[in-house]
Amino acid sequence: MGKRQFRGAENGDGPRKRQRVVHEAPTSEVIHTSRQLRQLLAFDPDLGRSRHGLQSFKLLLDSLLSRDDKTDSAEKRQQHEARFTIVKEYLQSTKPIEDDESSTYLPDIMQTWSNAGQVNNENLLSAVPVVLALLLKLLSQSLELTPIGLGICRTLLQKRQQELISRSLSADKGKAFIISPTLRMLREAVCFDGGAIARPMFRARVSMLKSLARNMGIVHIGEEPEDIKKPSPRTNAVQLFLSALKYLHPEAKKELLAQRDVVTALTRDIKQDLPYLVLDILNGLRDHVLLDNKVPREAKSNFLSSTTLIKISGLYYYRLASDDLPSISDAAHDFLMTACTNPSCGVLRQDSGLYPREADPNAAIPSADLEELGLEAIVWMNKFKTEVPVRNFVLSNLLQNLRPWSSVKQSELITAIFKVAPELIADFFIKNKSFTFEPKLSATWIGYAAFLFNTVALPLPEYFCRGSGYAELPPPTSIVMDNILPLPLNQKALSRCLTNKARMISFFATRILILAVQKLDTAVKMHQDPAHSSKFHNNQALWTEAARRLVDEFCQRSPGIKEMINSYRSIPEDDILHREAASQLLRLYYEVIPQVALMAKFDVSPLLETALKRLSKQEKQKEAASEEDGEIDPRDFALSLKELENLLAIAGYSPGMRWFAATEQLTLSPFTTLLKVYVEALHGVSLAPVRQVLDFVAVEQQVVPAKDKGHPGISVLLETLKELTASSPSSLAALWPFLDKCLTRCTTAPVKYLEMLQDLAKDAEDEVLTVSPLVAAIIEQLPFAAKATDSKTTLDGLSRFLPKFLGYSAAVGESKPLLEAALAVMSDSFTKGLGKSLAVPKKHPFKQTKGGKSTEVKQDTNNTAAEGKKPESGDDVAALDSEQLERVLDLPDSLATDNSALIKWQNKSVDELVDEGHAISLISLLASEHASIRKEALVNILKIAAKVQQSEYEEKEQIWLLLSELAETARVAAVSQAVNAVAPLPSTIIAFACHAVNVLRDPTHSLYPKINSLLTRGPFWSVDRVPLADEVLTEEPAVGDSYFAQLNWLLAYLLDGLRTSKDLELFHKKRAKGPLFERLLAVAGNPYMRTPLRMQVLRILYRATKIEGGSTTLVTRFGVVSWLEELLKMKKGLLTTQTQGAAGNIVSSEDEVAVYKGLLKRIWDTCDKGRVKGWSKGGVEGVIA
Amino acid sequence: MSDNKQKSQQEISSEFTSYYLQRATKEFAEDLDKVRTADDFKNDAIHLLVNALQQGTALFSPEEQRRIVETAPERK
Repeated sequence: MGKRQFRGAENGDGPRKRQRVVHEAPTSEVIHTSRQLRQLLAFDPDLGRSRHGLQSFKLLLDSLLSRDDKTDSAEKRQQHEARFTIVKEYLQSTKPIEDDESSTYLPDIMQTWSNAGQVNNENLLSAVPVVLALLLKLLSQSLELTPIGLGICRTLLQKRQQELISRSLSADKGKAFIISPTLRMLREAVCFDGGAIARPMFRARVSMLKSLARNMGIVHIGEEPEDIKKPSPRTNAVQLFLSALKYLHPEAKKELLAQRDVVTALTRDIKQDLPYLVLDILNGLRDHVLLDNKVPREAKSNFLSSTTLIKISGLYYYRLASDDLPSISDAAHDFLMTACTNPSCGVLRQDSGLYPREADPNAAIPSADLEELGLEAIVWMNKFKTEVPVRNFVLSNLLQNLRPWSSVKQSELITAIFKVAPELIADFFIKNKSFTFEPKLSATWIGYAAFLFNTVALPLPEYFCRGSGYAELPPPTSIVMDNILPLPLNQKALSRCLTNKARMISFFATRILILAVQKLDTAVKMHQDPAHSSKFHNNQALWTEAARRLVDEFCQRSPGIKEMINSYRSIPEDDILHREAASQLLRLYYEVIPQVALMAKFDVSPLLETALKRLSKQEKQKEAASEEDGEIDPRDFALSLKELENLLAIAGYSPGMRWFAATEQLTLSPFTTLLKVYVEALHGVSLAPVRQVLDFVAVEQQVVPAKDKGHPGISVLLETLKELTASSPSSLAALWPFLDKCLTRCTTAPVKYLEMLQDLAKDAEDEVLTVSPLVAAIIEQLPFAAKATDSKTTLDGLSRFLPKFLGYSAAVGESKPLLEAALAVMSDSFTKGLGKSLAVPKKHPFKQTKGGKSTEVKQDTNNTAAEGKKPESGDDVAALDSEQLERVLDLPDSLATDNSALIKWQNKSVDELVDEGHAISLISLLASEHASIRKEALVNILKIAAKVQQSEYEEKEQIWLLLSELAETARVAAVSQAVNAVAPLPSTIIAFACHAVNVLRDPTHSLYPKINSLLTRGPFWSVDRVPLADEVLTEEPAVGDSYFAQLNWLLAYLLDGLRTSKDLELFHKKRAKGPLFERLLAVAGNPYMRTPLRMQVLRILYRATKIEGGSTTLVTRFGVVSWLEELLKMKKGLLTTQTQGAAGNIVSSEDEVAVYKGLLKRIWDTCDKGRVKGWSKGGVEGVIA
Repeated sequence: MSDNKQKSQQEISSEFTSYYLQRATKEFAEDLDKVRTADDFKNDAIHLLVNALQQGTALFSPEEQRRIVETAPERK
């Protein structure tokens, strides 16, 4: 036996059996006719001849498939045609007569194949599928031969062929030469004619897809990459699988995808596949699985398991590059983005936002528990600090395998997933503990910071639960917190970042914190949404508590405000981007968590000054640069301005900002510097925030009249300065120090300038007294400016500035006569300083209302004009005549003495004495003009006191004390006057005692505590004082909100206590907190005070007019005329808006107007007209008339 | 320059991004140099770095970006 002889050969040079099979090259011949082909392929038991025939046919097919109509020459094309005709004729000649399911196409080849199977000839088992694959490929290009192709495919489905296919597919792993062609043949069959037989093929999957998973695992082995022309069984198996996916119907796909071994094998070795195959896999899966809406969702989710996704994510690190193909990592990224964020792909599951899987956001909790325990009543509230149960566990697993710090794409993928599955944010950072945010200047740290930035930048889920409205219960605070400041961003790490010497690290941390505070703000506002109180259960309190807790936790996780401030301070001046960010962060702290921000007692002024200084410097540089090459970027200026805006906002929030204090750093005060920045800013730079601050500070510091009076505030000054910048910048430059001085003086002594204006008004005789106090300051400072060494330039600037300024002031409705008077005074100073008067244009400056002004001035001008017309309503209300006025305002003197009281009390019981007013009547007698009666009353008062003390009367101690102290006061007063008689006490004291008795009778009275504390303070009362006035007017009411009740009591007793000119003295006497009259007028100026109370004040005034000198004092010392005018204006304003009939008011607004007018008249009638005229330069008379 | 008409938001955004990057690289030049010499600085790290720096543009609203970009010098 030959074989044995071979084995027995001594020298080992003889070929081994295995090698013989592989290397024995088949023979072939060129085919010229179809007949020849038919003969070659005819079944021949001789295996060698069969192989010879198949090989010849293969070469023919190869040459046909390699044709290229575009490049081939005409001769070559002709050859092709001839060869194709051979194949065509052969196929037609072998076509079965009956074409049905059982007909066998290519019977000779099939028989050869079958024979090969029987004799186990591997060469033929390989050669037949090779030829069939090529033939099907060729036929798929020819419409004419498609039916024959289909016939061949159907032949493959016959039992005999199926067995052969099955056998080949499951051949030994090493028999790639059999497996691969078989897989190729099947792929051609599946794809043939648009997948016409894919369905029956899938039905025969037991043999057709036999060992698919295993075959996918037979990868190319070797150092060299796989040859595209000789694909490995894996490549062929994958391509067969993808083709099947392409052409199979959804149900079959579902079944195919359910074959776990196949699916796992598909991606297991994907990293080693050639780029084109990877792209085929990704595109195939995307198009025919992910985006195929007919494939059931569960089929997709079965396929896209954690393992598959993780394997695909491994492609982010794919190494084999191909120049002419798209990047694999990009393709994998796109695939994962689609797979993980599109809910129809079967991976993403709907979550409940920030409510973890086990938390029921609408759980019913007994309201008693909620009230008692608050958030603690919710069992799951504190449960998710170390573990969060999630619905998207597949994604959760995938995320842990990604490295966002080293790849932008992976970071993008994670944040995209976070966005659609917010529940994963907290989960991701809780699980990913190994990676910290400890600062280190490395690419990894920066990558991580960027990833955290993106995470914090994600919006909070709608209503926290991604539902259509808020849930009953707030989400767990720890979860919300993890969304705002993820776990790695803890206090320690962030603090280290802020203090790190690498400024870029602090910059990155600052930016993240900005986002975090903004997010916190949103979260808190969501907690405070009014919707929480409109549900069946009022859970507002619970949500409020949760919001508070959230802020607390934020403060614990964020670095301290002081670190932020220090970090800001340490930033070099030129690093404007960093400075802008740091200032924005501080500003946000002031806006969102002021309780923390204010704790630091941060003085913003130095930083503000630095910013202002830098802006001025940039301005200068800009001017210098514009002449040279222009190195200064105006965008830097705009950016610096943003920092300034932030600082201004902080200044607005921090108490004690000194706007008008000049410092060493700045030549001008911060306010004026800001004014300068505003006026001189580049064209096109938006300065709205600066403007707001200027407006606010100017009005607050009384540099200009308040806007509510129809005055446009600082606009007038700004417009003037802006015009001046345009027309004559040099004169403006000289003006700044002077203007700064005037502004500063205006704020340090506002009263002084208001008085100056009043003095000026006397001459001007105008009823509208509105003029900027700044004008007065300018008048005052002009003489000094004129004397200064550089007076010429300053005055020159002023001569341009002042006419414009005064002109605009008048145009917006300031008092023209007053301004004219001011101009006259100013002119004087100019004459002295400049040797010529102020150059006033011939045209009256006050008439200029030219069109070049800002719309705001115009608008305000319009407003003023409307107001200047005086509202008509209210003016037609006539003043009350004296009788009517008396009826309304004159109350009888309650201390009018009734001497019978001296006797009447003696038979009464203590209860009757106190409750029926006998004691009060007796006290009133102390006001008697007769000394004997006063003496008698005093004795009787002491007797009553003794009687009360011995009685069983409940408040006997207090009443006794009151009476005794009253008697003692009277005695002390008498002694101090060195008159051996009881001096008449001031009526205020007596009235007080009378009203106090009524309070002491009723321990529930709101003044009961205050009167008792007064009584226990000392044995007698000071007669110069008005008892309890301070306590009621300035101290807290102590008992609930009884302020107005106490005030009512005080006013009642004061009215009774104002009877004589001596009493009047007490009312206008200078006191620490101002004269009593002044304070009463101020109290009544409160627009929210109810009419009855204000009427009470008016009654006191009326009473004063009845006392000699009362009216004159009221006019000259307390400006009662202007006061009444103001009240009139206020009421007139109300008349236009208010509808009639505010029920409960004693007098309607209209009546009130009449009362004010009547009282004005009464005051004028009863005052010392000569004196008042002199005092007011006729002003009061004008008002009354 | 003739661009009197308003720039589109996209133009503004890209101009602002380039300005922001230019400022950031200027301010943190020293630190960026150090990062470049760090061990973990590989090929795609530059992309990561640029990406991280320009994130900050998100802290400026479109209006603020426009404001800053449009104060740009009008020079050739």
